[in-house]
Amino acid sequence: MPTKCVLVIDDEESIQKVVSLSLKMEASWKTITVSSGQEGIRQAAICQPDAILLDVMMPEIDGIATFKSLHDNPKTQAIPVILLTAKTRTSEKRLFQKIGVAGVITKPFNPLTLASQVAKLLDWSI
Amino acid sequence: MDSQSLTASRQTSLPKILDRLSTHSGVACVLVLYRRQVVGIVTRQDILRAIAQNAQWASMRLSHVMTRPVVTVSQADLSADLAAVPGFLEQFAHHQISYLPVVDERQRLIGVLHQTTLLQAWSARSSEGRRSETAVLMTSADAATHEDELRRQHQRAQLLAEITLKIRQSLQLKEILQTTVDEVQRLLDADRVLIYQVLPDGTGQPISEAVVPPYPPVLGFSFPEEVFPEDYQALYAEGRVQAIADIHAPDCGLADCLVEFSEQWGIQSKLIVPIIHPLQPEPNHSQTPRPHQLWGLLIAHQCSSPRQWSEFELDLLLQLADQISIALSHGQMLEYLEERVRLRTAELTQANDALHQEIRERTQIEAALRQSEEQLRLVTNNLPVLIAYVDSQQHYRFNNQAYQHWFGQAPTDIYGQSIKTVMGAAHYRAVEPYIDTALTGQPVTYESELMLKDGRSHSVSVAYVPHLEEIGEAAPQVKGFFALTTDISDRKAIERMKDEFIAVVSHELRTPLTSIHGSLKLMATGRLGHLSAEGQQMLEVADENTDRLVRLVNNVLDLQRIESGEVTMDAQVCDAADLIEQATEAMGAIAQEHDIEIQTQSDPIAIWADPDYIVQTLTNLLSNAIKFSAPGNPIRLAVRSTVESVSPPQSSERFVPRDRPPAALALFSVEDRGQGIPADKLNSIFERFQQVDSSDSRKKGGTGLGLAICRKIVEQHGGQIWAESQLGIGSCFYFTVPLQAAPRPVTAKPQTASAGLTMPPRSQKPPRSKKSHR
Repeated sequence: MPTKCVLVIDDEESIQKVVSLSLKMEASWKTITVSSGQEGIRQAAICQPDAILLDVMMPEIDGIATFKSLHDNPKTQAIPVILLTAKTRTSEKRLFQKIGVAGVITKPFNPLTLASQVAKLLDWSI
Repeated sequence: MDSQSLTASRQTSLPKILDRLSTHSGVACVLVLYRRQVVGIVTRQDILRAIAQNAQWASMRLSHVMTRPVVTVSQADLSADLAAVPGFLEQFAHHQISYLPVVDERQRLIGVLHQTTLLQAWSARSSEGRRSETAVLMTSADAATHEDELRRQHQRAQLLAEITLKIRQSLQLKEILQTTVDEVQRLLDADRVLIYQVLPDGTGQPISEAVVPPYPPVLGFSFPEEVFPEDYQALYAEGRVQAIADIHAPDCGLADCLVEFSEQWGIQSKLIVPIIHPLQPEPNHSQTPRPHQLWGLLIAHQCSSPRQWSEFELDLLLQLADQISIALSHGQMLEYLEERVRLRTAELTQANDALHQEIRERTQIEAALRQSEEQLRLVTNNLPVLIAYVDSQQHYRFNNQAYQHWFGQAPTDIYGQSIKTVMGAAHYRAVEPYIDTALTGQPVTYESELMLKDGRSHSVSVAYVPHLEEIGEAAPQVKGFFALTTDISDRKAIERMKDEFIAVVSHELRTPLTSIHGSLKLMATGRLGHLSAEGQQMLEVADENTDRLVRLVNNVLDLQRIESGEVTMDAQVCDAADLIEQATEAMGAIAQEHDIEIQTQSDPIAIWADPDYIVQTLTNLLSNAIKFSAPGNPIRLAVRSTVESVSPPQSSERFVPRDRPPAALALFSVEDRGQGIPADKLNSIFERFQQVDSSDSRKKGGTGLGLAICRKIVEQHGGQIWAESQLGIGSCFYFTVPLQAAPRPVTAKPQTASAGLTMPPRSQKPPRSKKSHR
């Protein structure tokens, strides 16, 4: 079974590394990491990952806008998006649910269970 | 003939004639003319008699007192010899007149013939010897006698008029009585004239006297009863008069003792007339005739010699006695009226004093009320809050000056207006439920937004406190409510800033924490390489404290969100046994690590709660129990149904609505056999960062916020949480949750009137667990 490919869009490089290593160690998934929303949109269209882990708080174009762009692009709208965010206010959570993301994982997350959380949200098997 | 006479018409009034006579002292009569014809004569005596006999004399006219028919003589008659004089005198005597008007051939008045003057002239002519006739002498003698008689009549009339005037003008009885005795003495030329008053005991004493020396005065001397026995009094009371010419005359009728008494005072003759006086006037002005009584006697004494008293003298005294009686009546009436006036004055004075006292008291009360109102206004107008009183009809009855500052509306403009009119229909619709609640007798607090006159919207906290009036045994009646509105814009701004700060800080803290926590976790797996024992130990230290930091950040955010109201409990019907099972499962691994068994006891009880937050509460309590229990000691988790009478040892500040039956509750308990909690810490452990022993807590990885979060969650559900413990034995934590959808206390949590009561969706939060060693 081909391994999954996950696009990680987060402006924090350290988080990119933790996420990549975590997914590799726990699920042997391949990861592509980018540091901005624009780059993420481009890479998503090119690479066609199996899923996207998307940070919310990013400069220039934040996660919500990035998601909307991905959703509006026929090439990328089918790719499930999971928000990876430290924002946990009720109003924000309401918004996340409203825009149609596949799920929300709160920071700080447990790297040892990150892969299983993603698999659970996307109904993948590890 | 005297040509000096006054003329007047029949309609001339007596007062006017008196005035004219006073300026013409030589005129003795007034001829009444009608179309220049003499139709009557009025003399001074006529006028005085009219005054004496008529109380209304001032309204009388000459026609009422003039003498008629008028006998006139012609001028031609006067020019005849004095043989006509006897004829004139006969006219005088026949018609009982004193004056004869003299008229010319055309009946025009040319003069008056006075009787006196005629007699004098006749007497003088007789003495000149022109004619000496007995008739003339007799006429002269008669004339002299007649003249004396006329003079005395005149004097009597004058005395009567004078006394009558005195009675009319003065009510001083003493003065009247003294004038009477003085004038009578002068007129009668008596040696003594006195007024004797009869006393109620039958005795009497002189009270007024006019006596000529050398005769002794009797004034002040009390006459013995024998002098005036009762039978004599009875006779005088019937109107008897006594005129004794000579007390020594055998037929005088006096007893020897009286003669002897009279001799003591040198009395030779006496004239006594009674003064009869009606009894005291009835207050009810009865029409029945009043009985009369003998008030006293008017007495004239002749001491120099016996004296034959004349009819005139007797008549004079009788008339004067009548006048004295009238004066006594006036005096009595005056006394009565003065007494009435005195009583009425006393009543009025008393009423006036009472009125003044009442006015003083009312003035004091009004001053106190004004001062109290001024103080109230001073206080209410200087507080930077809106203070109002609204009646049960929702009309403003008091507003402080802050309404002017906030809305630009003077309190006087608002007074009496309805809330709806002042607030506006839209805002009134939003707050109407709270107004209705207050008018049912329940206090209510809510938050709202108000547009002030500066054009900006301000957040306000509004409290309505019902005004209840107790009326006897009946239930208190709601008369209205007091409204207090506080501008909380600053507080809201601070809260928003705090929320923003916390949200930002939360994000800024969590981001690096994610990296640190994540990388340490991955390193701790050992799959990235092996460290030395010390290195591995340091890694574990870093990992544990990172976990602790993550929990602290999460707890701080949880607590802040719950307190700020951002998190609302999504209450629903759930099974208490199921929640216990979830909490047990979540803490199972940690409990196993500590070699602690979690025992549960629960019945399927339907509760009204947010299941995730109840599970969070249970996991917090279980976490504490595990932390503070020695290995091998079980922890007991249970739930049972109960009623509201189960109360914590300490009183709760929670609002308890009146007239509500005790609510059915679910009572959760978490019991351990740990070290226990000192009694003085059983309350404080629910405060933030309060722990039994901070050093012990740090060793066990606690944040100091877990129980505070549990309390907030339980209170949001309308329940209570408390702990019971014994040092060295163990502790038991209890909390209650309603079994059914109970009405939320309106003071428990402020609502935003404009936003309404919305329930935002709740977030999914996995329970936190202690790390497991690998």
